[in-house]
Amino acid sequence: MKAILTDVTKCIGCQQCVLACKDYNKLDKDMPRDWHRNDGLSARNWTSIIHKPDEHYIRKQCRHCIEPACVSACPVAALSKSPEGPVTYDPGRCIGCRYCMIACPYGIPRYEWDNPVPYIQKCNMCYSRIKEGKQPACTEACPTEATIFGDRDELLAEAHRRIKNDPDLYIGKVFGEFEIGGTQVLYISDIDLGFLSYPVRKDTPVLPETTAPAMSAVPPAFFGMGAVMGGLYWFCKRKERIKREKEENKE
Amino acid sequence: METLLDFARGPLFRLTFIIMILGLLRVLILDIYGAVEAYRRAGDKRLDWKNAIIKTLRWIFPFKSAFAQRPFYSALSILFHIGLILTPLFLLAHIQLWEDGIGISWWSLPHFWADFLTILTIIAGLGLITGRLASRGARALSRKQDYFWLFILLIPFITGYICANTAISPSAYQAFMLIHILAGELIFVLIPFSKIAHCVLMPISQFIITLAWKFPARVDDKIAETLKKKGMPV
Amino acid sequence: MDRVKTFKSILWALTGLAIAFGITRMFFGLGSVSNLSDATPWGIWKGLNVIPGIALAGGGFVMTAVIYIMRREEYKRYSKITVLLAFLGYITAATALVVELGLPWMVWKPIIYWQHHSALFEVSWCVMLYLTVLFLEFIPVPMEETERLAKLRIFLNKYKIVLVFLGIMISTLHQSSLGTLFLITPEKLHPLWYSSLLPILFFISAVAVGPLMLVLAVMTMSYLYRKPLEKDKMANLAFGFMLVLALYGLIRFIDIISAGKLPLAFDGSWQAWIFWIEILLLLVIPVALLSFKKMRYSTPVLWITSISAVLGVGLDRANIAGIMLIRTGPVYIPTFYEISISFGILSAAILVFLFCVERFKIWEVKWEDPLEKPEAPPEFGGPADVWLGTPRIAGRTVYSLVFVLALALGFAMISSERIQSAGVEKVPASKARGGDTLFVDGNLDGYGTMFAHEDHIQRFGDKKSCDLCHHMNIPLDKHSGCYECHRNMYTTADAFRHDWHASPAGAKINCDKCHQPGVQRTASSAKTCDKCHNDLVAQNAVIKFEENEALSYTDAMHGLCVSCHKQKARVLEGKEDLDRCPTCHKVRDLESIPSEIKMQFIDTTFNHVVIPFPDLVNRVKIEAEQDG
Repeated sequence: MKAILTDVTKCIGCQQCVLACKDYNKLDKDMPRDWHRNDGLSARNWTSIIHKPDEHYIRKQCRHCIEPACVSACPVAALSKSPEGPVTYDPGRCIGCRYCMIACPYGIPRYEWDNPVPYIQKCNMCYSRIKEGKQPACTEACPTEATIFGDRDELLAEAHRRIKNDPDLYIGKVFGEFEIGGTQVLYISDIDLGFLSYPVRKDTPVLPETTAPAMSAVPPAFFGMGAVMGGLYWFCKRKERIKREKEENKE
Repeated sequence: METLLDFARGPLFRLTFIIMILGLLRVLILDIYGAVEAYRRAGDKRLDWKNAIIKTLRWIFPFKSAFAQRPFYSALSILFHIGLILTPLFLLAHIQLWEDGIGISWWSLPHFWADFLTILTIIAGLGLITGRLASRGARALSRKQDYFWLFILLIPFITGYICANTAISPSAYQAFMLIHILAGELIFVLIPFSKIAHCVLMPISQFIITLAWKFPARVDDKIAETLKKKGMPV
Repeated sequence: MDRVKTFKSILWALTGLAIAFGITRMFFGLGSVSNLSDATPWGIWKGLNVIPGIALAGGGFVMTAVIYIMRREEYKRYSKITVLLAFLGYITAATALVVELGLPWMVWKPIIYWQHHSALFEVSWCVMLYLTVLFLEFIPVPMEETERLAKLRIFLNKYKIVLVFLGIMISTLHQSSLGTLFLITPEKLHPLWYSSLLPILFFISAVAVGPLMLVLAVMTMSYLYRKPLEKDKMANLAFGFMLVLALYGLIRFIDIISAGKLPLAFDGSWQAWIFWIEILLLLVIPVALLSFKKMRYSTPVLWITSISAVLGVGLDRANIAGIMLIRTGPVYIPTFYEISISFGILSAAILVFLFCVERFKIWEVKWEDPLEKPEAPPEFGGPADVWLGTPRIAGRTVYSLVFVLALALGFAMISSERIQSAGVEKVPASKARGGDTLFVDGNLDGYGTMFAHEDHIQRFGDKKSCDLCHHMNIPLDKHSGCYECHRNMYTTADAFRHDWHASPAGAKINCDKCHQPGVQRTASSAKTCDKCHNDLVAQNAVIKFEENEALSYTDAMHGLCVSCHKQKARVLEGKEDLDRCPTCHKVRDLESIPSEIKMQFIDTTFNHVVIPFPDLVNRVKIEAEQDG
């Protein structure tokens, strides 16, 4: 499982990653739109730098969840989790329902609202490059190695090592290690990164598991309702017949 | 002024143009629907198709019958119709507006021919008004509407010619342009609700006239019943 | 005018408007008519048409269960109308989906691409299957009009019970799966609405409200067509399902209380107020009014309770499907176009409903259209007392006229701005602040740069150097400011005045003076301005004149400064920093930026990345003040 580790303390906000992403994925010119959210991401910007007070730059991109809500939500499996880890999107399957945008806890998928043939747009961790054995365009472009690419386990170890070496600087936690089932884009930071996702409570379950019981109850509910109705039908018919027989007997 | 012009070229044009197109379509559909219903209920279902088609064609290309009676007036009328249809449809400036708006364009008239047709239409129109006024028979048959239409159809041609060919101050230019556009749009709105609807109804009117005489069986009783005069002599 | 005629005219008008906006949406994308955004991907179409529409169509399966399975024969005459209601409810939802989905022509794809973990996959299958079932259930009714299909009709009626069973089973899944849809958003949906019981709550409320919707429809019919109402049957039906509604309320409150969420309902937030409005409409009014036997049988009470319950369930679904989902963007307010499409779809469905009621034997007996009563007098209209035909033809004339006018009005109302540059924030560029040092900040957001104007003048050779940068000027103005032509912050502007060039009082030139004959007439194919105005661009100007359109302000400013700065950085000793972003946009120490990150970034992407750091605004403002 491949992963990206972003060290917020090292980022200088130069946006080389944004540029590399735009170039590699051939994303079109962008301009401020009414439908953008104020985090810099859009259908034509798959990664962005969020600036927080005191020279903190946080790169926002798809988190490539280990148990992605978008993948479990998509009715046609246009979004899928590849074996290497990235969550990829197949526009040929998409029907444009935007349920993935509802489901994503990080608010990542964006939509081409101005296109009469609109598709979902999101970071795919440069999946074609990963398959070639290369690293994503953004991590390759980073001049300060603030964002690096590697195996998830190794990066986790590296993250914990950095935190251990400098416990005063970092918040003692790797963002993305456990929340909502864990992600493959990890952060270590000296400020809290809670703003990257919707408010997550401690007991927030892994999202695909929320719908799983209801979905597995589908066949029993279907046939159960059929059986109940069948029983009711038989009962009512019988009642009717008994009533009719009684009347006949009276006569 | 600029905003007024923009409004007239934009929303107002869309409104009036679509009223014209859909309005004509509506009139056509309603009439055909009515005709079909009449045919369905008709007692006598035989229709003289051949005669109706010939008559219709004769009305659409009225050379023979028209020239027999009032050749000069008819010639003017035909010229007027040609100018009326060709000039606005193939004027370069109009096509340019279409292209800017929704990106479609088609063949356009050369500048000289556009001017020529405009003047021809104006002269023919004035001639038609004179013709109506001059002949006693025509004057008696004419309604106010008939004069009004000739008058209002000429306004866009005159103002359009002024705008395209004379050196006037920009404010006067804009004023004339506004009148040009607004008059054109007034025409658009009125077309489907007035006699100009003959532009689409002409081909089927003959059939409707033929059908009108095919009353269903025992229709006389029903008419009498509706008018509450049953049993009374008609 | 007649009741029916007025009502139908309004519906036709609404439909016409909606069709105009719907066509616009199909050709120019969702952004051209809606205010949907990345923060609010589902809006009023989902919240008003799709999800409540299906809840209200629940009457179909509930009433067929009552009639055919519980064998309550007294409601049998309502069986056709309830199936029709459900059918149209589903058609409404499907039509709204066609507008709402980004790629509606791909809507069949769940048939071949299976993803059984997805609640929406289940929903789409249920919609397709149940629509088929409803179609088969309803189709015998129009078939009665002709004798040719009698065999098929008899066959369908004979096995109706199979369809009834299938309908109930599919509906059970469907109503509940709509609740399942929102199970995946525990962190977004307001806790007062989020519950792991959502599927069950959706199912029960649909069971309760479906028949109340039938009551509302029957009462509307009897009002419109002046038919006597079987008040006792309606009241009994309403009472029976009021009990189900009470059960729903019970489960919901037990769920809220047991999860300890009750305090949230009293925290005075607007969400809490909406919660109580919903409870009032959905539970309190119907349950309170229908509990009393005396009130149950009065027409006003039936009106109030059925409307209230229908609105209540609509609000509940709208809350869950949109209003109560947390947003991070600006508040979503649907546009007029969106609302109009929503109501247009409903209107069209009601028109179809009325058509079926008038045309077919929905009520066991065919309802005579009041417009076609034999004793109705012929209608005359207009100044000349033109005969308008039978009253029915007169109706047709009015409806089509209203429809055409509304459609045209709809097209006129579409804003061309929304279509041409949908969603682009309109930011007009403004004049730079004067003085020796200009503050170049086109959109006045404070994120700009101090430009040493005087310094540049002196360096490049005094007054002669103006046309180095001021490459064009408008008539009667020497060295016009940049914003005169680069008027828009992010979009290109037209710098060429067609009106003036063509006007006889102005330049008085023909189109082919600039546009080559035979070539498509666009700005890019036209002759450039400097071909005629050869003094507009100086020999030594930094920017050569290439396009007729004025670039956006940001692009133009970056293009002008960056190309020069880059060149100078290469030439001048000790000025390598010139081509680094922070040289002009002073936000952090130059030293902290590695020297390999240079303008190369901005140079190739000033076209792309527009707002790097939105919240730098204040910092630059402070710096500007400090600089004087």
